[in-house]
Formats: sequence, structure tokens, C-alpha cells
Amino acid sequence: MRAFNAELSKLFSLPGMWLAYLIGAFAPPLFAALDSFAEKEDIIAGVSTRLSEVGYIGLGGGVQGIIILGVLAVSSEYLTESSESGGGNQITTSLTAVSSRLHFLLAKAGAVTVVSVLLAIVAVVTTVSATNLILGDYAPAFEASRLIGAVCYWTFTALLAFGITVLTKNGIIPLAVLMINSSVVTISFLLTKVTKLAFYLPDMAGLDMFMSPSGGFHTPLTGGFIMFAWVTVLFLVAAVVFHRRDIAS
Amino acid sequence: MMVSSSRKITLILGAELDKLVTLPLIWRAFAATFIVNLVLTAAFTSAGLQGTAGTQSILGTGLASMGYLQAGFIILGILATCSEYTGGQIRTTLTTVPWRGFQLSTKHLALAVVTIPMAFIIVASGVLYSFIMMRDTAAGFELDTMIKTLLGATGYITLTTLLSAAIGAVLRRTTPALVALLGYYFIVSPLSRDYLPSIKNYFPDTAGSYMYMPLSSEGINVLTPMQGTGILLLWTLLFITVAIVFYRERDA
Repeated sequence: MRAFNAELSKLFSLPGMWLAYLIGAFAPPLFAALDSFAEKEDIIAGVSTRLSEVGYIGLGGGVQGIIILGVLAVSSEYLTESSESGGGNQITTSLTAVSSRLHFLLAKAGAVTVVSVLLAIVAVVTTVSATNLILGDYAPAFEASRLIGAVCYWTFTALLAFGITVLTKNGIIPLAVLMINSSVVTISFLLTKVTKLAFYLPDMAGLDMFMSPSGGFHTPLTGGFIMFAWVTVLFLVAAVVFHRRDIAS
Repeated sequence: MMVSSSRKITLILGAELDKLVTLPLIWRAFAATFIVNLVLTAAFTSAGLQGTAGTQSILGTGLASMGYLQAGFIILGILATCSEYTGGQIRTTLTTVPWRGFQLSTKHLALAVVTIPMAFIIVASGVLYSFIMMRDTAAGFELDTMIKTLLGATGYITLTTLLSAAIGAVLRRTTPALVALLGYYFIVSPLSRDYLPSIKNYFPDTAGSYMYMPLSSEGINVLTPMQGTGILLLWTLLFITVAIVFYRERDA
């Protein structure tokens, strides 16, 4: 529990994290608002084909903040300080304080989970209100089950970013790969044009939890399970690797 | 020791090139970009081959991965300038080369020297791959169009790399620079294309994309390749100037 508190305090004191919180809380309503403005006329005229996505698209794209959160939570531990202040790594200190590596990893993952759930709830509230504000009576009906799906998608994405960064120890690669892959046209989406197997990639499966109520490849529940399976496998691999290797090398 | 100023330029350029070439992450970034680009081109090509035969252009397919390819070079540009700030290397640099504006300009020059051949190889390999795979089915094209497009794409990537390096020099930290640039190129810009159609052509990436974009189906592009180059060049120079101004003014 104390390790968990320590991890939470790290998550709230990192300067880079505030970027993650800002993006996570304000990008989704902004996305949704822009999209609502663009679609407003079509929706009022009743010819919009994307009514069911309008608000949710913000939640799909606003996941950027959460990726930064998951990546920074791990990569900040591996930053080497300048030679003038000893050239140390924070991870050395962390593992001296919490000597069980599994406990350390679980505490960190727990803290990331809690913060991302909270952040996702904030994002859901702001997005729904922004959409309602702009579209008024024409706003799509927000179903609780789909919103919970969005929260799950955010949390799983944070944990995916977390697991990948444990493996790479450096924030650049996971940040680049995940940010690009959650951009407007994702690589996974292109791959689905080549092979149906790409629908089993974590982000495609995860999006089925809330983006496409009728026409998804998976049902929301299966999509959630597939993404959860990816997270579990990745976390196990990360735990084993983290358990076996030298601290900072 | 007195050194003539032309000799000084050669020495500084040599030192900057040395630093770039010995950064381990640079070569990994190049290798990864090369491989990922080929994989993506393969995916685009096989998707293109499934379409109706004779209608796709080889150049279009070979360059379809440009949007993702630029990410590798954005990382490269950021690494080139931000690596100075990890572990206090910047203080050593400034002790040996105390002319700040000069040093940063030379760094950009060295970066361009490294980037141009790499960008050309990577772009050309993608086009070559799709040429080999599609030569039987796709519509023909002229050689000089292809050379112009390849040069345009190389120029676009080089300018984007320099622009990223300048922003890296302003922000000085890898992660914020990475988030800002990737966020702009992959989230903000595609969105603004839909919502701000009137001014999008003056953004660095949209303007730059006309440098290599094949003629659109209407037969005419909004900007000519030269206009696109000009606008992107202006943006790049603007950011480099800002970076130099900041660099001269503030503590190392």
C-alpha cells in the first residue's frame, strides 16, 4: 500500500504528467466539439451517417494523453541524470526502497490504472457535456455501456503503453508507435484492409468496445476480452523480463 | 590558437557530423524507419493489387507510406538537438564552440548532410518495391516525373527533419518535443484538414506534401511543387531562427 501511494505521488509530481492530464481531459471534448460543428447541419437535416460516432470519436482520439501517462510512468524511472548530479537513475532508488520487483511493478501498474480510470471519467463527462452543448436536442444518446467501454479502452491502452515501455526502457519508441497508431488513420486500420487478422490487434478490438455499436467486427464484450488478453500477456512478459534483468542496463 | 574562419566552419561541421554519426539511436532510427517503410509499402502494394488492375499509379502506392515515414525522421531531428541536453553535453559543446548561433546553424547543416542520402534511399526503396510488384498491372509513368517526385519527397523529409530539430532545440527535452510534433503531424493536422479547409494549405506539412504529390484527379493541384517547397522552407527557416534566438538568449 505504501508502495502504491509512493507511485501515485510520483505520477502527480512529474512535470510531464501534467501534459498527459491536460491532453487527456481537454482533447476529447475539443475533438467532439469540432466534429459536432462539422456534422451539425447534416445531423439536423437528418442525413448524417455518423450520428452514432459523433461524441465517441473524441474519446477514441483523445487517448493520446493516456498513452503519455503510461509511457512516462515507466520511462521517467530510467532517465539518466546529468553527470554533474551523479549520473543516477531513479529506478535504482525505487528498487532500493521497494525491493520486490513484482511488488514495485504491481504498485506502479495499480497507480497507472487508478489515474487512467479517473482521467477517463473526466474525459467522458467533459465530452458528453460538450457534445450536448453544441448539438442540443440532436446529440446522440450516450449509453452507459458504451461509455464504460470507452473507460476500459483508455485504461487498457495506458497499461499497454506501460507494458511496452517496461520492455524498451526508453520512452521514444512506444510513444511514437502508439501515438501514430491512435491517430486519425491508424496503421492497424490499414492492415485490416490486408488481412482480417488485424481485427484482433489490441486497438482495433478495443475500439469495438464503444465506437461501432452495430457494425463492429467483434461484439463490444469480445473486443474488450481480446484487448484485455493482450494487456495480460504483455504484462506477464514485462514482469518476467523486468524480474530477470539488471536494473539500469 | 588562431584559426581562419573557413577552417573553423570545416572543423565545427566535422565535429557536428561526428556527434550525429556516433549517436547510437540515430542508426537505430534509420534502420527501423527503413524496415517499417518497406513493410508498409508492401501492405499498401498488396492492397493496391487487390483493387482494379491498371488504375493505380506506382508512384502513388510507393509514396503512400510517406505520412508514417516522416515520423522516423521527426524522431531523428528531435534526437539530434535534444541529445545535447542529456547529461550536460551542451556545456562541453559550448566550451569548445562558444559561438552559439553559428554552432546551431552548423548542427542543422550537418543534420541535412546526413538526412538527404538516407531519405532518398528510403523513399526510393519504397517506390522501387512497388515498381517491382506492380509493373505488370499498373498504369505506366514517365521517368522524369518519377525523378521529380523522388527529389520532392526527399526534400520534404529533409525540411521536416530540420524543422523537428529546430523545435527540439527550442523545447530541449525529448518527450515534450516528440509529443508536440507527433501530435501536430498525426492528430491536429489531419483534423484541421476537415475543419479548416481554407488555411490548411499554408501549414508546413500540407504545403510540403505538394512537393511530391502526384497530380490529383482533377488534373491540377492547389499549389505547385515550387510553391509548396517555398512555404515549407519558410516555416523551417522561421523555426530555425526562433531556435537560434532562444539558444543565444538563455542559459545552457
